[in-house]
Amino acid sequence: MVNRLKSMPLYLFLALCAFITVFPILNILAMSLSSSRAIISGEVVLWPVEITVQAYKQLFIDGQLLIALKNTVIITAVGTVLQMIATTLAAYTLSKRRLKGRQIFTFMVMFSMLFGTGLIPLFLLVKQLHLINTFWAIWLPGLVSAYNLFVMKSFFEGLPAELEESATIDGATDLTVFFKLTLPLSKPILAAISLFYAVALWNTYSNALYFISKSQLLPVTVKLYQMLQTPIDSLLAGGDSSQYIQPEGLKAAAIIITVLPILCVYPFLQKHFIKGVLLGSVKG
Amino acid sequence: MPKTLHQPSGPAAIRSKGLNKPGRGLLFYLYRDRYLYLFLIPAMSYFFLFKFVTLYGELIAFKDFRLLDGVWGSPWVGLKHFHTLFGSSDFWNVLRNTLLLNLYNLVFAFPAPILLALLLNELRVNWFKRAVQNMLYLPFFISWVVLAGIIVSLLSPSTGVVNAALRLFGIDPVYFMTSTLWWPVVFIVSTIWQSAGWGTIIYMAAISSIDPGLYEAAKIDGATKLRQIWHITLPGIRGTIGVLLVLQMGKMMDVGFEHIFNLQNAAVFSVSDVISTFVYRTGLQNAQYSLATAVGLFQALIGLILVLTVNKIVKKLGEGGLW
Repeated sequence: MVNRLKSMPLYLFLALCAFITVFPILNILAMSLSSSRAIISGEVVLWPVEITVQAYKQLFIDGQLLIALKNTVIITAVGTVLQMIATTLAAYTLSKRRLKGRQIFTFMVMFSMLFGTGLIPLFLLVKQLHLINTFWAIWLPGLVSAYNLFVMKSFFEGLPAELEESATIDGATDLTVFFKLTLPLSKPILAAISLFYAVALWNTYSNALYFISKSQLLPVTVKLYQMLQTPIDSLLAGGDSSQYIQPEGLKAAAIIITVLPILCVYPFLQKHFIKGVLLGSVKG
Repeated sequence: MPKTLHQPSGPAAIRSKGLNKPGRGLLFYLYRDRYLYLFLIPAMSYFFLFKFVTLYGELIAFKDFRLLDGVWGSPWVGLKHFHTLFGSSDFWNVLRNTLLLNLYNLVFAFPAPILLALLLNELRVNWFKRAVQNMLYLPFFISWVVLAGIIVSLLSPSTGVVNAALRLFGIDPVYFMTSTLWWPVVFIVSTIWQSAGWGTIIYMAAISSIDPGLYEAAKIDGATKLRQIWHITLPGIRGTIGVLLVLQMGKMMDVGFEHIFNLQNAAVFSVSDVISTFVYRTGLQNAQYSLATAVGLFQALIGLILVLTVNKIVKKLGEGGLW
């Protein structure tokens, strides 16, 4: 009991840290559901004041954010599949010690981690490949993450070698071993890495900003950026800010629409993410 | 090896052509591992195209690049663009900001997850610990556009809750986002907000692998909690701290583009413009391709030297390093 009392400040401090971390998000949520008047007078803290869904209604009628959301869903779904195929196949191959040229390939990947690609050479390449204003400009330049590749490779290396040996004696080819033996045993790592990729794609930003200019093709992040940007610049003048109040509520609602899908799957995401990080750090 | 047993046609055919030497021919391995090599094609095409062909594009840093002439056809100009860069005050400002913001992160944001992990490790009530962790991890999953949008709204002089609180104490509204004094503070705090919680995971894992017997022994010797942390926990996670420090130092030339870009506005360029935002503006928005490539190349080279150096230092200190 004495111990409990002594550690009270610790518990209070950490509870405060946790609260400070989530408070900004709760504040935005409350703002998105409050009336313009309440937002202007700065009354909104944790709970919505004079509840209204006007901001959401306006965004839905406008429809642009919904199109962007649809784009993001496509980018995430297709992109994750492409990235997983490329990464899993390569990681499996590089985990085989008997493979000739394994070091050369591994060095290629290592080198790419050490030397950052310049934005302009990348832009010129993407332009040359005619990927500008297509989703491929988001998928291809980020097809394989070297980090994810190495995490997966070390996972495959950890699988018992006897399994493969006995299967090959029974006449299995590399294809059979990979699809029938390795993949079913690798579900935890496959889940973790595909979620790494999916979250990164959901939050995809720079590549879309660099390579996509058609409004109809923008992902939700860049669309949100455009919506947020307009009033910020007007605020710079430092003039009368009351006329930008309506945007404040709209911005809050747009932010909530953008993060809501992530928040909905958060408990699930987080569990697998932690597993992935721990699997990755075993080697490092 | 046993594979040759049931692929008689392939290796057998090769063998009959006299390739069955002790150090077997390349064709033998290409055939034996044909599926594996096929598996490599998508990823290696990616690395080849986007990591090696782009290196060729870096050449335009030494040329006057014109879109019509292409990389090869544009005229060589030697180090002209580097001279322009090193002679411009913009470049030095951008370089200073990059290093300075990274230095702030190293001093203030790097220790934050270590401290948090040490504190979290002392929690004994499991549901409480899990709840706190769940909340601390959350911002890591959210993109910088959203986080920046939230920050700007929170700190808004007219409608933000922070300034509303200040007003209660009779303090005039502070223009956090447009003040060159406050902007770096907002930057550091937002780094901590986004990543400190998530950063604890690796440290917590390292702490949990420390032999509990050490703590028992220390308790018997009458060591206080603080002394236990100082003499057992911290030495126990020294290796982890070292590796993460190397990674962080290797990124000294590179501040997250999305983080800066989304918090940035014209009023605070003098303290917030960094290499990545500078490259984006000069290269993609103003189409000064060669100049922007020169900056990027400079950044990548210094970054490479930094990683290699710091890795060597950490190795010398006996902490293993990265490779």
